Amino acid sequence: MGPLIPNELISFEWSSIIAIIIGIFFGFILEASGFSSSRKLAGVFYGYDFAVLKVFFTAAIVSLIGLLYMDYLGYMDMSSLYVHPTYLWGAIIGGAIMGIGFVAGGFCPGTSLSAVAIGKIDAIVNVIGIMVGVFIFSELYPLFEPIYNGYFEGNITLVDSLGVNQYWFVFILTVVAIVMFAATDMIRKRVKKVFY
Amino acid sequence: MVNRKLVKFLSFRYIILATILIVLAGSLVLLPKYEQQEGISPEELLSLAISPERYITTDELADRIINQDPSLLLIDVRDESDFKKYSLPNAFNIPLKNILNADSESYLNQDAFDVILFSNDNFHSDQAWLLCNRLNYKNLRVLKGGISNWFNTIINPKKPTENMASNAFELYTFRKAASIYFGVAYPQKIIKKPVIKKYVTKTPTAPTEVQKKVIPKKKKKKMPIEGGC
Repeated sequence: MGPLIPNELISFEWSSIIAIIIGIFFGFILEASGFSSSRKLAGVFYGYDFAVLKVFFTAAIVSLIGLLYMDYLGYMDMSSLYVHPTYLWGAIIGGAIMGIGFVAGGFCPGTSLSAVAIGKIDAIVNVIGIMVGVFIFSELYPLFEPIYNGYFEGNITLVDSLGVNQYWFVFILTVVAIVMFAATDMIRKRVKKVFY
Repeated sequence: MVNRKLVKFLSFRYIILATILIVLAGSLVLLPKYEQQEGISPEELLSLAISPERYITTDELADRIINQDPSLLLIDVRDESDFKKYSLPNAFNIPLKNILNADSESYLNQDAFDVILFSNDNFHSDQAWLLCNRLNYKNLRVLKGGISNWFNTIINPKKPTENMASNAFELYTFRKAASIYFGVAYPQKIIKKPVIKKYVTKTPTAPTEVQKKVIPKKKKKKMPIEGGC
């Protein structure tokens, strides 16, 4: 049956409209759960609030388990899902830069936009910074191009590159996640409370 | 009023949610595994299997071989002994039992060539086609009637009788010319010189029997000029 758009249960033209609807809901839920506060986001790095880690890790695990069940029951063809291509060093360097930006600015790109929507000045500065970064990158593109397009590993997943059974991988990941949630809770209790 | 039982239950909510996640993930590991369907879906395979689109006629194949079509890849799915006795020119031999071997995959699973499968009839080549098509290999065709039909139509074409339509005669001349290309020697061609000398004075119709070794080419229709700026 699924995925809905590649199997033409929903025509391709709807994809942008569906993306906009999902985007609106995503932004709304980000704001409603307090992710438009840079103090809450930066809390992961200082150890007084792990909501970001918990939320995104839980989302990944829930969707992973759900997808595997749907694949098992034949409602979803996992092989026709989009797998993002891996450019190894581009991802590592880009991830490091994004992490520095995250801890310095207190926003990731998505939450900065939702914070702009509620009128936070630090988020507006953050978004201007993103624009400046995009401009610098595109001006210096010939310099970065070998990293940007090099070290291409193909559309691989962790299961492919590690060569493990996907069900065991998901199970272990779930256990790791829950242990991590419990550990972060303990860390949060020991760290001095911060009011924000 | 606060429902105390509910409050007590909800104080364990994170533990309950965590157990639900672990149970769900753990039962994924424990679920009985079944062989996942490889390649295309059964419905698609069935609709392709009943469609005659996969067949290529011997005439079409002969035409493409004679015109030295570079995209042609002939694969003989008969046994090696049969292949050594006779096969089509430039054909590869992949016996039916080896069709799913790793070595044969590079021939069959590609999109640069039109793969033409053939056997004595189209029975074994149809089986090979089905096996390969299920794995979603592209550009696979089957020679209709196989080698025996190749023999009956191209190598040894039947002469049409007088009351047949003119295109039957055209087809016959094409096939006969093709058979000459594939190395068939006709008796009237071999002894043509004495025959011409004898009959030249008496009947001027005799030279029609002379077979010229020409490469038959299908006439390309002139396309009408379409549009323009």
